[in-house]
Amino acid sequence: MANIRWGIVIDLRRCVGCHTCSVACKSEFLVPLSVYRQWVKVIEKGQYPNVSRSFLPSMCNCCENPICVHNCPTQATFKREDGIVLQDPHRCIGCKYCIASCPYDVRYADPMKRIVQKCTWCHHRIDTGLEPACVNACPSFAMTFGDLNDPESRISKVLASNAVQVLKPEKDTRPHVYYIGADEVAMRAIGGANRKEKPVWWLWVMGNFVKKEHKG
Amino acid sequence: MESGLNIIYNVYHTPPLEFPIAVYFYLTGLSAGSFLLSTLAYGFGIEKFKPLGLLGVSLAVILLILAPINLIIDLEQPMRFWHLFPYLNMKSPITYGTFLLSLYPLNAIIYGYFMYKKNYRLTKIFGFIGIPLAISVHGYTGFILALSKARALWNTALMPFLFLVSAMVSGIAMMMIAVAIKQRYFSEDKHIHDNIIFDLGKILNMTIFLDLFLILSDILVLQTADTEAHHAAMLILTSDFSPMFLGVEIIIGSFIPLMLFNIPMFKKRIGFQIAAAILVMIGILAMRYVMVIGGQSIPLS
Ligand code: SF4
Ligand code: SF4
Repeated sequence: MANIRWGIVIDLRRCVGCHTCSVACKSEFLVPLSVYRQWVKVIEKGQYPNVSRSFLPSMCNCCENPICVHNCPTQATFKREDGIVLQDPHRCIGCKYCIASCPYDVRYADPMKRIVQKCTWCHHRIDTGLEPACVNACPSFAMTFGDLNDPESRISKVLASNAVQVLKPEKDTRPHVYYIGADEVAMRAIGGANRKEKPVWWLWVMGNFVKKEHKG
Repeated sequence: MESGLNIIYNVYHTPPLEFPIAVYFYLTGLSAGSFLLSTLAYGFGIEKFKPLGLLGVSLAVILLILAPINLIIDLEQPMRFWHLFPYLNMKSPITYGTFLLSLYPLNAIIYGYFMYKKNYRLTKIFGFIGIPLAISVHGYTGFILALSKARALWNTALMPFLFLVSAMVSGIAMMMIAVAIKQRYFSEDKHIHDNIIFDLGKILNMTIFLDLFLILSDILVLQTADTEAHHAAMLILTSDFSPMFLGVEIIIGSFIPLMLFNIPMFKKRIGFQIAAAILVMIGILAMRYVMVIGGQSIPLS
């Protein structure tokens, strides 16, 4: 175990947006309604006839520098030697500070267990030599799971021979889920904001200054 | 911006910290503020603030016993709160809080006890021990938000100072109201001696200016920082949270009280001073709400 560092590469050129990974995850863990360990964000952009759809399978990034572990007051969230970030269900007090800290919104308060839960990269499967359920279920082989420290592993070869991105690199969490061919807008949370801009009552007072800037 | 962008499907998990957390921040702030005011007389020996001593420390203790109750009911597993002691993680700001929330009320009780017994030497000693504790018990709540780096509205080094200054603002306002009530209803002559209220009003006036300066610096930088920060600034300036922020926190909670404190027509009248103090307290509660709830309403995924 000592020198293993697990990672996942998701090749979005292959992803067809079928949500099979999410379904596999839901059934692997019996994830309750209204919360998700893994999901596929889907966006559509452009105007007919120049349109496209992009997908972004989202899950715990098992960060190298996980802010959730740093901030958990009871060490209920911890990082294993092979890099997988886990959650001790008996120790977690449910303060939800880790949910507030994770920049990827992958954690949730489990409505049934009353603790915080998240994607674990199926560590129970990995430890018996299987792949995570989502990787295993993907019909188009878009996901590759493996040991980043082994230069001969398939994932190392894929990483070495492709341009890859991670989500929010500026947060210095150093994610270990890599994407090939991800759409910039799909990766950007604010681009994904469904927020409508309302007319603002106090603009009468302040003039149009702020509003104009916001359009940029 | 992105013409014709459509989110077909995405998951947004429920914001984790809810209103009880904002109330918790509000109560610790009031507690720290009233404790610090009580040390003006008994620590620093400013005689005219003597009436604030026992009142301040009693309020500080009561509020700090009420405050953590909000934290515990907000846990998913309230009965496991003791995990905070044996399994502590020294890097987590919540751990600072675990110690501070245990030590600060204890110290405040001892300090209050000696004040009551009129042992002024020991009162002074425990008062001085209490000052850094009171500052940290509220300052650390700023770190809780600031270290949660996912949220653009929180992730600024100004946060602890914003919280401390707003704690002073709300604490002073609460003491003005408390002193007035005590003198009006529970003293022998049932009469408000207005000197102390006007003195507190002057301090409050200055602290509101300081608070506004911090808020302004925060927003100016947020506006021009990265995408998320800009979005956070716009959220409180122009979108869902602007009525709470600009309307309640800034106009009702700061501008109107400043007018009442500074316009000659109002500033001589005790009634207006108390009204200003009440508005200030409402404004700071709105500030806690905007920070905690607003900070989490920006989508992350
Ligand atoms: S993605 Fe979030 S939950 Fe997963 S390790 Fe990183 S910070 Fe923690
Ligand atoms: S909710 Fe649980 S895992 Fe998350 S920070 Fe609190 S104790 Fe740690």
